Amino acid sequence: MVIETRRCSGCQACSVACKAEFDVPLGHTRSWVETIEKGNYPAVSVNFLPRLCNHCRHPACVDVCPTGATFKRSADGIVDIDPDVCIGCKYCLLACPYDARFINPLTGSADKCSFCLHRISQGVEPSCVNTCPGKARIFGDVNDPKSEISRVLATNPVSVLRPGMGTEPQVYYIAADNYDEHFRERGWHVNVATHRRQKERR
Amino acid sequence: MVEHLNWGLPVIGYLFLAGVGAGALTVSSSVLLRGGGGGFGGRHFKIARYGAFIAPFPIMIGAAMLILELGSFEAGNYLRFLNLFTTINLSPMSIGSWLLMGCLGASLLYAYTFWPDGAEPGDEMEKYRRGLAWVCVPLGISVAVYTGVLLGAMPARPFWNSPVLPMLFLLSAISTGIAVIMLTQTLLHKKSTTEEEHRTHHESGYILTATDLMLICFEVVGIFLFLMFAHLTVGDVKYAVSAILPGGDMASMFWFWVLLVGLVIPGALEMIYVFPRLINHREFAAPAYVEYVVPVAILAGGFMLRYIVVVVGQITGPVGI
Repeated sequence: MVIETRRCSGCQACSVACKAEFDVPLGHTRSWVETIEKGNYPAVSVNFLPRLCNHCRHPACVDVCPTGATFKRSADGIVDIDPDVCIGCKYCLLACPYDARFINPLTGSADKCSFCLHRISQGVEPSCVNTCPGKARIFGDVNDPKSEISRVLATNPVSVLRPGMGTEPQVYYIAADNYDEHFRERGWHVNVATHRRQKERR
Repeated sequence: MVEHLNWGLPVIGYLFLAGVGAGALTVSSSVLLRGGGGGFGGRHFKIARYGAFIAPFPIMIGAAMLILELGSFEAGNYLRFLNLFTTINLSPMSIGSWLLMGCLGASLLYAYTFWPDGAEPGDEMEKYRRGLAWVCVPLGISVAVYTGVLLGAMPARPFWNSPVLPMLFLLSAISTGIAVIMLTQTLLHKKSTTEEEHRTHHESGYILTATDLMLICFEVVGIFLFLMFAHLTVGDVKYAVSAILPGGDMASMFWFWVLLVGLVIPGALEMIYVFPRLINHREFAAPAYVEYVVPVAILAGGFMLRYIVVVVGQITGPVGI
């Protein structure tokens, strides 16, 4: 998936669509949008950063899962969870550098974005992509050079989140802002807020 | 502070208790192999016996606490945790679960060999006892080390991602294992009737105290290396370790409980009574209050080490996005 952050207006339609698609329990999110305020008046800006599971090439969650409940599908590289095998040890919640996971209180197992596996297996695009009014999200097969996503990836400067973690995320961003509170030391006001139960980015 | 964390008090308690159990088991079996049964003429058989009886309990209680905190258990799938034992993979938790089960089984069998009332060096259980002790030493050490590897395996948690941590946990585990044996020996000690008994009691005390002093010194070095290498690096780890350096959120807790209560006070008290025996070959005779204060302080420090490490590891994370 490619997310063009300049087309995101922070409307949260993706968050709502995702909640509706999966009936995600209250207080938890598979997909969310962060608001990044930065700068000192009058030089200020607000940017939005839509977030979801990165479906990494080297997923840290899969490496630590003791039961094999979290696995990477060899066919398409999507990281999925078998809720009937997962014991809910929360190891993957801690290992994920993107805080993409949570424990679903109904099943007691780890839960996260699955790229709408049930939709894409029928050839329909994921719910968040379908609903985005700014067309900020592009979903497709990066191994197919004729796909739209391949063209966008090839013709734009893209970045991934926290590349230093060595996970090689498969969600690419155009114009993502990597500032957070640690950069306040440079004298800038920076504030990152989410609408999740955990208000700060972890 | 811990209620919003993914890994809260049960995990902290487990890491501490597994360390105590594994430490007591390692100490007991090494004393048996080296001092209790053979090498030193079986004089320290008593402390090996205490250690053997104590070891399985903290391991069992800790493991039970872990299971109670599992998401699947809270959602009502009470036996889902058995999935841990349907597979084995390279996850530190998978390897750790198997090690823990092996350690628990071996420690129960090992404790059983000490069970008969007249258990003494050279009785008919001796060969099983020694055989099991050879298994228990590596298993105890492995369990103590794995608790550190479990935390250290994640780049996303920079505070834990340090090779010093498993070593620190191992040292702390053996030290707390010694402390719990020391405390038991003091609590169960009756007035010695013969001179020989009196001397053996103090000699056993000396072996435990002197070993513990050495471990405490290594722990201080371990903590120094942990802090220094974290502080000297840049980015994630530097920000993470600043939580326990002066000015950090948990700094006062760390320096007071882990350093002062857990290491400096017991270390200094032990030094006062170990050095005369070690250097001047005087008789080792620690007063009773020291034999209570030292183990209690070490156990408190060991628990707080796990508490602070587990909490700080979760409240800090990678820098930037």
